[in-house]
Amino acid sequence: MLLHVVNRSPATSRVYQQALAGMSPEDRLLLIEDGVQGALPQLVRYYAGLEGRLFALKEDLESRGLLGRCAASVQVVDVDGFVDLTEEAERTVSWY
Amino acid sequence: MQEHHDDSDLLVILRHAPHGSSWLREGLDAALVAAAFGRRVSLLFMGEGVTALLPGQQAGALGQKGTAATLEMLEMYDIETLLVEEQGLSCLGLSSDELMLEVECLSPSALSRVLSGHRLVLTF
Amino acid sequence: MADWSPEVAEALAREEGITLTSEHWEILQLLRDFYARYEMAPAMRPLVKAVQRALGPEKGRSIHLMRLFPGSPAKVAARLAGLPKPTHCL
Repeated sequence: MLLHVVNRSPATSRVYQQALAGMSPEDRLLLIEDGVQGALPQLVRYYAGLEGRLFALKEDLESRGLLGRCAASVQVVDVDGFVDLTEEAERTVSWY
Repeated sequence: MQEHHDDSDLLVILRHAPHGSSWLREGLDAALVAAAFGRRVSLLFMGEGVTALLPGQQAGALGQKGTAATLEMLEMYDIETLLVEEQGLSCLGLSSDELMLEVECLSPSALSRVLSGHRLVLTF
Repeated sequence: MADWSPEVAEALAREEGITLTSEHWEILQLLRDFYARYEMAPAMRPLVKAVQRALGPEKGRSIHLMRLFPGSPAKVAARLAGLPKPTHCL
């Protein structure tokens, strides 16, 4: 299982498509930095099919005032959670 | 999946076009350094990175070197596994038989298998 | 690159304590051809491979290049050939 990390918003960048193309069915996806916009109910549809495997970084949501606005299908993790995800994955692949 | 994907130590993913930024060159440099040190390297061209493989590329308007000569040099560094995202090609209306080097096209499912199959993946 | 001449190579070789023979010259020419084609000076491994292809397996070995250009053959030979330092060679 790989952890894919995306730091760009699906509203402005197509990098999310590359991440999705690279993902195996068991891989996980973590949204960080501007990527956390993808956790908004309006944008989360780009990540349809990732239920249970889609994460967003709390600190980046918080700093952007988005923490209370995430779609229910997104699991919010803090930096320690990020570390746990990294440890649970064989490797991490960054898409930026 | 074919066996040689698992064989290489490093997968370098190239997602940027020539001339527009230095990402492509930096990705190629990383691949060449690894190969110079005896690592087995595969390249994966994704998204607009596939345009790096178009024939007939030239120096930039200000004489900046392109990357085509470097791609031709890959075989001297024993970098022979060149993978291309099928989707990246079709998005631009290109097909693999018009590229300057022989490549292997990857379907979406093959693509994710290639990523899982490498010990180390660098994205550029 | 354009200012290079065999005389320059001779002078640089003297600095390195090398007397250029025909065996040296064929490597220098090969390096200049490599650069003209690929726009880069090769690191050691691709240099060995290029020599192997052009001059055969006897010469296409690092020991041969080490004997001709002691120390760091890819670097020393690129310098004598009037090329920039090999990019992928630390």
